[in-house]
Amino acid sequence: MASVFLGINDRTYTYESTAARAEHMGAGVRYPIDFAMTEDEIAYIVNRGREDRPDGTRLTVFSLGEDGEEYISTFGSYGEEPGQFIWPMGITLDKNTNVYVTDEWLHRVTKYDQDGEYISHWGTHGSGDGELNRPAGIVVGQDDTLYIVDSRNNRIQKFTLDGKYLSKFGSAGSANGEFNLPWGMCLDADDNIFVADWRNDRVQSFTSDGKWLATFGTPGAAGTPGTGGDCSNAVIKGGITYTNAPVGQFNRPTGVCVDQDGDIYIADWLNNRVQVLTPEGRFITEFTGDGHLSNMGVAKLKSNPDMIRQRNGIRNFTPERVLWAPCAVKMGQNNRVIIADTTRHRFQIYRKNTEPVVV
Amino acid sequence: MTSNSVASKDKTTTIDLMAHLMRRAGFGADRDELERRVAKGYEATVEELLNPQGNRADREHFLRYHPGFRRAVTSPGMGASVWLYDLMHTERPLEEKMVLFWHQIFATGQSKVDHWHELIAQVDMFRDKGMDSYRDMLVSLAQNPAMIYWLDNCDNHESGVNENWGRELLELFSMGVGNYTEDDVFECSRAFTGWTISTVPPRNYYSRFDWSFEYQEEDHDNGEKTFLGNTGNFNGEDIINIICQQPATAEFVARHLYNFFVADEPPVPAWSVTPPKDPKAIATLAKAFTDSNYDIRSVLRVLFLSDFFQNARFTKIKSPAEVVVGTLRLVGQDILPGPGIGDLSKQAGYMGQELLNPPSVEGWHTGVEWINSGSLMKRINFVADMLGDTSRPGVQRIIDRLKAQGNLGAEELVDNCLELVGPVKTGSATLHQLVEHAAQHGELAWDTDESTKASTARVGELLQLIAAVKEFQYC
Repeated sequence: MASVFLGINDRTYTYESTAARAEHMGAGVRYPIDFAMTEDEIAYIVNRGREDRPDGTRLTVFSLGEDGEEYISTFGSYGEEPGQFIWPMGITLDKNTNVYVTDEWLHRVTKYDQDGEYISHWGTHGSGDGELNRPAGIVVGQDDTLYIVDSRNNRIQKFTLDGKYLSKFGSAGSANGEFNLPWGMCLDADDNIFVADWRNDRVQSFTSDGKWLATFGTPGAAGTPGTGGDCSNAVIKGGITYTNAPVGQFNRPTGVCVDQDGDIYIADWLNNRVQVLTPEGRFITEFTGDGHLSNMGVAKLKSNPDMIRQRNGIRNFTPERVLWAPCAVKMGQNNRVIIADTTRHRFQIYRKNTEPVVV
Repeated sequence: MTSNSVASKDKTTTIDLMAHLMRRAGFGADRDELERRVAKGYEATVEELLNPQGNRADREHFLRYHPGFRRAVTSPGMGASVWLYDLMHTERPLEEKMVLFWHQIFATGQSKVDHWHELIAQVDMFRDKGMDSYRDMLVSLAQNPAMIYWLDNCDNHESGVNENWGRELLELFSMGVGNYTEDDVFECSRAFTGWTISTVPPRNYYSRFDWSFEYQEEDHDNGEKTFLGNTGNFNGEDIINIICQQPATAEFVARHLYNFFVADEPPVPAWSVTPPKDPKAIATLAKAFTDSNYDIRSVLRVLFLSDFFQNARFTKIKSPAEVVVGTLRLVGQDILPGPGIGDLSKQAGYMGQELLNPPSVEGWHTGVEWINSGSLMKRINFVADMLGDTSRPGVQRIIDRLKAQGNLGAEELVDNCLELVGPVKTGSATLHQLVEHAAQHGELAWDTDESTKASTARVGELLQLIAAVKEFQYC
């Protein structure tokens, strides 16, 4: 698809707030890699955690409403038993707020109820129909079809909500309709499928029956290759942070969502930003991060005067502002755009304005 | 020995030499790679190692599955996981070996720095600069936040000089004891006042923030200094330029290169009283260093093409990092990404070399000091566990080559296995014991599923035994 990055548009966005803080246990998150929102703006969050602190690998439930964040509960844990996971990755909710979580290591999907009670799990490692190899992104369609990014098989598979195989599409490659280790996915209002085609540095869209529709983006990296998405590549100009990568170019996109107008939000992982495109693929804007102290961050600081003193000595707050390898972006209510700022263990929240706002 | 054995004599000389080069300039190579490189030629391989065209490890792929290692963590040994992945997966083995070399010399440790990611940033710098200008790398080292913190240069002020960095720059990083005075240490340290780290937010609420180098002009001593007979208003870079003009620097770096790549020397503190094993070799390397304007790549070329290097086979005891990385590369790299990265990254530490956490700024004592009863058991058990796992792709490739030989008698089996995991050269007594073990169950056969299964298991056992022989500890 041709991409035009010039011209006016009628959307403006403003930074709203930052939510949550880094915690392995209790009220916080650790490497939030994906999340799913209810209509009440309750977020079910996948905390990937890390190997030396398996207690941080868990699902947390937060309210991420406009009144500020509030920690609600935790469920799931690190392990191979039913209800546990090793590498939890994608998460989605069905109409009854049952929770579905993919596990990239155990190659399975685990289902919980809305309170986090384990219901079932399914999945067999392999490449045959219905088998999984590193399942990643997961969404539920309006017809209760469960779509799963079967990443190492480079395909999308469709299942019933209880795991019965329905169909598949996609194969390995870089042509339209092909994938290279795809990661996140979402559906638009018509159940068209958008897939973050990770190693092809692009997003592709498909009809719900797998017909290719469009490709968005080309490869492009900020800063020095091999830096692993180091946020020190971000620069600050006039109080706004930027990456150095051209717009419309992606460096390992991870998550994608589409708003009610059809605008597309893409977590541009190693460029440390979220890009916003029109439904036709025209660049609208990018979020590189405006993070401030969340309520939970303030509470943490207040617990330790030494931290307050250290922070007061800072001359450059850019590192605290910028997104750092964000993995997921979702729409909340009232045009709120919620970004999982994965490596900073928090969420940065923007708002799409109904009328133009000077920023 | 059969006529079509992989150990046939016409191949042995070149394979042995290539294996020697790859053990020293890399982390070993399997038989397929050795044969490819022999076909390419020794000198061409040296050039390819010096100017690599292959890829570095795909760290982004690793971080996709281990996002927690984007900035490494606090638990002992875990922080080196990213580097272990680099070591295992690089297609540029000498480049990565030089990272290990500089880490040994410019030894910086987590025990004080307490920020693994700053240490990873330091070894990343070694990767980018490790085969280029030594002078430029010293400047980068002086501006490296982990080093600044490690040696207290952030506490080195115009109003109060801290000599830690200045002293180690001269003593351990460039010239060696006996080639400067205490006054030189002080004047050197004055020149580096104001070279510090910028303040960052506290780590507790959004995790750790990166340090960065900051030059604070207002804290720099702009007075006149006299250093190694030169007088002027020197800043840090001027000091490094003067250091690089000293013959002692060339000899010091040459001896380090000799110790790392050719043969074990005594620990650095003994160098001022113990002459080099091969003064002529040191002189050759030092001259190459000076003639090339401190270009490390040029010195390495001279080293690898020299007779003293090519004749120095099995004269060094493998470092724990060489044991672990060499084994993991040999058995196949399907292990990562995957759970267990933390355990793997700690293995070298169990053997006495915790990467990114050397015992002091002096680095590790090498050679025979790698070996004690505890570390030897760790070394053997680790390698034996890996080589004994016949499901690993690298072990499968060894078995496939053995199968291609057809049925094998005990001597042929031992001979071939020693070739395929090295080649490893054993003494006659060791060889006799290995053959005696291999002969216990008769000829190795592959003609039925049952015999293949049994033979596979026997090969696994034999490889485990080979991992335990003394000669396997040398490279």
